Amino acid sequence: MEYKVEAHRIMSISLGKIYNSRVQRGGIKLHKNLLVSLVLRSARQVYLSDYYSGACLNAQSEREGNEWDITDSEREKFPPSATECDRVESTEETQPNEQPEKEREYRENDDEVKSDQVDCTSTLQEQNQNSSLDSVAKVSSETPPESITEPKESPSDSAVAERDSTPEANGESHQPPKTHVCSNRKRSAEESESGDSPQKRTKVASSNAKEDEEAEEMDTSNVSNLITIFGSSFSGLLSKESAKPEAEAEDSGQICCDQMLKNLNPWSTAIVAF
Amino acid sequence: ERYKIDFLVYIKALLCSVAADIISTVEFNSTGELLATGDKGGRVVVFQREQESKNQPHRRGEYNVYSTFQSHEPEFDYLKSLEIEEKINKIRWLPQQNAAYFLLSTNDKTVKLWKISERDKRPEGYNLKDEDGRIRDPTTITALQVPVLRPMDLMVEATPRRVFSNAHTYHINSISVNSDYETFMSTDDLRINLWNLEITNRSFNIVDIKPVNMEELTEVITAAEFHPHQCNTFVYSSSKGSIRLCDMRASALCDNHSKFFEEPEDPSNRSFFSEIISSISDVKFSHSGRYLMTRDYLTVKVWDLNMESKPLETYQVHDYLRSKLCSLYENDCIFDKFECVWNGSDSVIMTGSYNNFFRMFDRNTKRDVTLEASRENSKPRAILKPRKVCVGGKRRKDEISVDSLDFSKKILHTAWHPSENIIAVAATNNLYIFQDKVN
Repeated sequence: MEYKVEAHRIMSISLGKIYNSRVQRGGIKLHKNLLVSLVLRSARQVYLSDYYSGACLNAQSEREGNEWDITDSEREKFPPSATECDRVESTEETQPNEQPEKEREYRENDDEVKSDQVDCTSTLQEQNQNSSLDSVAKVSSETPPESITEPKESPSDSAVAERDSTPEANGESHQPPKTHVCSNRKRSAEESESGDSPQKRTKVASSNAKEDEEAEEMDTSNVSNLITIFGSSFSGLLSKESAKPEAEAEDSGQICCDQMLKNLNPWSTAIVAF
Repeated sequence: ERYKIDFLVYIKALLCSVAADIISTVEFNSTGELLATGDKGGRVVVFQREQESKNQPHRRGEYNVYSTFQSHEPEFDYLKSLEIEEKINKIRWLPQQNAAYFLLSTNDKTVKLWKISERDKRPEGYNLKDEDGRIRDPTTITALQVPVLRPMDLMVEATPRRVFSNAHTYHINSISVNSDYETFMSTDDLRINLWNLEITNRSFNIVDIKPVNMEELTEVITAAEFHPHQCNTFVYSSSKGSIRLCDMRASALCDNHSKFFEEPEDPSNRSFFSEIISSISDVKFSHSGRYLMTRDYLTVKVWDLNMESKPLETYQVHDYLRSKLCSLYENDCIFDKFECVWNGSDSVIMTGSYNNFFRMFDRNTKRDVTLEASRENSKPRAILKPRKVCVGGKRRKDEISVDSLDFSKKILHTAWHPSENIIAVAATNNLYIFQDKVN
C-alpha cells in the first residue's frame, strides 16, 4: 500500500507545483507544466489502479464487474498466455458477451481503462524485479521493497485488504491464481498501453473538452483541463475513501491539495477558475 | 598538439569572478578571445583575454572584464498581464568581420543584436560647442577650426543594433547563428523562427509543433541548433527525448524531419519521473558536424548523424541520483536544465552537476573526471583535485556521500574555448575560468 501513499503524495506535490506556477514571475512555463502534468497523470493512474485492482475481485459491484469486462475484451485482442487466466475469468465473469463489453468500454470513462492498464504495467514490473530493490523503488519512488516484491505472499496488500473487507466466495485458494491473472492481464495490456498511450491521452483530454483560450495566448488551459478531469475522477474515489485509512495518512505541505480529497467541490471550482 | 595531452588532471584557475546575479549563460566567441556571460538581471559581461606580453609572461591567458551592459530590462505584457523576465537565456556570438564584435542575446521574448566596439580616439575642436559639449553662442565665434581626432583612454561601448521582437508566444529557449552568417533562428517551446540579421520586422516560421487542440499537447521543443557547416540543416530536441534533423531545402515549413533520433526507453528504468528525466535539456553539434551531443537529466549522449536508432555513446553524469528522483522532483531540481559542450577537437565533452561539480568525459580513452568549482579549491594557479562521489558503503576520506551533496550549488552553464584547453564554468553567481597547466 505504500506505493499508493507515495502516489498520493506525488499527486499533491504536482498539484502544488501547478498551482504555484500561476504566481511565478515570467508567466507560466509550458515545458515545466507539461512535465508536471505527466507526473500527475502517472501518479494518479497508480493511485486509482490500486483501488481498482483490489476492487476487481468483487463481482457484486457493477463498476468492479465492468473492470473485468474491459479486461476480457482487452484480453480478446491478445492471445491469453496462461490457463489460470481463463479459469478464474470464467468463474468471475457475469457478462461473457464481448460486444456489449466493448461498447461499455468506450462509453465509460477512459480513465478507468488507462488506469487499469498502467496498474498492470507497474505491478508487472514489481513482480519481474523482485530481485532488484532499486527497480521497485523506481516504480513507486522509495517505497520499501519488502511490501511488494514477494509474489509468494499475498499478491498485493491492497488485494488482501479488499478481500478482507468485502466478504466473498473467493477463498485463499484463489490467491495464487489471482496473481497470475493479474500478470497475464497486465502483460498483454502493457503492450497496448505503451502503443496506444498517445491516443489514450488524447481521448482522456478531449472527453472532457473545455473551451480553449485565445489560440495565440500562451495556452496552458490544457493543464487546467487535466486537473478538471482528475477532479471528476476523484469523485468516484471519494465515496470509497472511507474504507481506506491510507487516505488520511499522508499529509503534504499544500493545504489546498489535502482539501482536494477531503472535500471535492471547492477544489473543482478552484480548478475551473484556474 | 596541445589539446591531446591529458589535461584532465592538470587544471589551474585563471579567473574567479563574482557576478551581481545568477549567471544564466556563458559563451566564448569564435576565436576564444572574448567570453560573454549573461545573468538573471539582464546584464551581459564580456571578458577579454590578455594578449601575450614579453613583459608579463605569467599573465598570458588571463581574462579581464572588457565590457558590461544592460541587455534586457523587465517588461510587462499588458494584454496578457504577464511579466517578461529580463534574464538572459542565451548569448551567441557572430563571427568577426571587422574591428567591432557582435553578439545576439535573448530573454524569453526578445532577441537583440549588440555591437561592442572600442573607441580610443575622440574628436576635439568643434566650432559650435565647447569641450564640455555646451553650445556656444555663434556671435562669439571669431575663427573656424577643423575638428581633429585625438587619442583618449580606451572606452568599450555596447550599442543595440537590432531588436527582434514580437515573434514568440512562448518562452525562447535557444538561438543559433547560421553558418551563412546572414540568418539566425530563435526557438520557443512550440515554434522555431528564422530571421535575417538585417531585418527585424519579419521572421519566417520554420517549425511549428503546436497542436490544433492544445489539450493534445504531449511534447515541446527544448533546444535547437544550426549545423556548423551546412546552412540548410538544423536540429531540434524535444521534451520526449528525441532529436529531429531538418533540411530547409525540403520545404518552407520543416514540420517533417529528415532524420529522427531516439533511443527506446529501457522498461526496467520506468518510474513516475521517466518522462522528466528523458527530456533533453541541450543539444550541440560537434565542431566537425558529424556528431550530435544531447544532455538529459542523468546522461550525456553522443549521436552519429548517420545512425538514428541509438546513440553512439552514453555517459552517466550522476547516476546515483536515479534513486532520489522523488526528492529531486519535490525540490524542483529535476527540472534543472544542464548544458553540455564539446572541446575544440571533439574528443572531450563536458557538462555540469550538483555540489558545484562538473564532469569531463574523454571519448577516446573513455576516462572521466569530476572536478569542483569552488573558491576554496581554486586559488589562482592551484591545481584542481579530482572529486569522487561515494554511492554507498564505506566512504573514503576524500569522497563525498550522495546525501551530503548541495543541490543548491548547480553548474548548468559551461563553455569551452574553441581551440585551447580553457574552460569557463558558471557556478551560481561565480564565474571560473580554468586552463590546462601545460599552457
